[in-house]
Amino acid sequence: MANWSLKWFQTMKVYWSNLFVYRTNFFLQTIGPLFVFLFIKLSLWTSIYLSSQKSIIGGYTLEEMLAYHLWIMVASMIILTSSSQNLSEDIRLGKISSYLIYPFSFWEFHASNFAARQTVQVFIALLTVFILLILLPTYFSNISFLFFIQGLILSLMAGFFWFSLNYIIGLMAFWLEETWTLTVLTQVVTYFCSGAIIPLELYPLWLKEALFYTPFPYLGFVPVRTFMGESLLFWQSVLVLLGWILLINLISKLIWKKGIHLYTAAGM
Amino acid sequence: MSVSMIKNIRHYFSIYQSFIVTCFAESMNFRMHFLLLIIMDLFFYVSALASVYILYEHVPLIGSWNREQFLFFISIMLAVNQLTMTFVSESFWQFPLLIRTGNLDFILLKPANAIFSTFFRYVRPGSMVNVIFTWSATIYFGIQLDLNWFSWMILPFLVFMGFFLQNSIELVISCSMFWMLEGTGINFLRIELQQLSRWPDFIYQSFVRRILTLILPILLIGSAPARFLFDFNDIYPLLGMGLAIIFFWIILKFTWAAGLKAYESASS
Repeated sequence: MANWSLKWFQTMKVYWSNLFVYRTNFFLQTIGPLFVFLFIKLSLWTSIYLSSQKSIIGGYTLEEMLAYHLWIMVASMIILTSSSQNLSEDIRLGKISSYLIYPFSFWEFHASNFAARQTVQVFIALLTVFILLILLPTYFSNISFLFFIQGLILSLMAGFFWFSLNYIIGLMAFWLEETWTLTVLTQVVTYFCSGAIIPLELYPLWLKEALFYTPFPYLGFVPVRTFMGESLLFWQSVLVLLGWILLINLISKLIWKKGIHLYTAAGM
Repeated sequence: MSVSMIKNIRHYFSIYQSFIVTCFAESMNFRMHFLLLIIMDLFFYVSALASVYILYEHVPLIGSWNREQFLFFISIMLAVNQLTMTFVSESFWQFPLLIRTGNLDFILLKPANAIFSTFFRYVRPGSMVNVIFTWSATIYFGIQLDLNWFSWMILPFLVFMGFFLQNSIELVISCSMFWMLEGTGINFLRIELQQLSRWPDFIYQSFVRRILTLILPILLIGSAPARFLFDFNDIYPLLGMGLAIIFFWIILKFTWAAGLKAYESASS
């Protein structure tokens, strides 16, 4: 067990050192987009409320809408972090041959990288919440320790689901030359269906109900509503997310088994 | 037009023709990627239009624009995006690799303008197909707005101006990659600027609007054409757009030259 955890920790250490070599890239690639996205949404919603002269839209006052988008940014820092890019490159360039003989599997390697990245992301998210609490306390009047922990748990679970989804997309490299289109496609669909742009209450009822049969609301809307103090469905959301995580990991195991039969170790 | 100029244009036209032929041949070898690229862009376009459509289910106006005006603006931005995705996007992503690997040497040695050979080398045939969607949307919302014949005549010209302005700014920004160890992050900065420009100028507060109109004029890309088409008296942003294109091409000449001085071939 100690040996196993040491392998994970050493891999995480390597990932951290790689990550911080290109600090500007890390900021531009991961943190910057979230702040720009937030800035656009704050500007857009302020303009919408001012021009419509409505005090409540879709059940949200302007303050609640801005708080919703601030929490979306925090949740996205934890949830939408991993990418399938390195994974598919490993397959396409024949690098997975090493993992087939190492005592550390392909999944373990990428999962430990994910864990390392997630540690950094959680730290940044906590720091962001701390700064926001000081700068914009009015938007966080509903915050409580319990809601925050529940939201954090849901976000971490959703983050693991997102990693598993990206793992499957990466495995598509067994069949496809390029997988970045699938990654971007998933991101576009997720942003729209998770309530990252518009809260799901504003969607037509039929669409909102249909979306709750998919994992998308759990990648944004549900954790954010929990952060904001709506924790009635916490345990139900935990169970639903667990179900999706189990299902997607089962699918990824099947895809790995199928894919590895096709693997030709290019360049070896 | 002098004979040598015509000869020059023909020379570059034949080079560009070769670029397009090789890109088509390549994409036909990866048909699934070709198909996914079309689907990915379509999802992005539909989600952008649907988001605005949903917003207008709850408010009659955003700023002073009604639903049709806003959707027409979004369609113009999607048309600009489609041109960018087709003609330059891939080359922007290849540029940091050319610098890092030193392969830019081979481009510099060629008897053709280096900026042209670097940034117009790759065409995405998959994205080209989506011209049907973006222009159908633009025409559809244009009809809803009852545009007159003059507006229809200048519409394609205005979209191309938007495309030129966006890429003039992005070319200047991309030159910063010469001074970076790993310039991929700059491409994410480009994407963030595109995100900012994808919304009308009036949603931003006065200070930000001024910066993004006068200093880094990304808000002119879509807002200037749309505002002019809605009101022919609102011509100053359009004039500013023309000036900005000329200004950024002059700046590009200097930044490119300075960048080349800083460039160290990877193998040297």
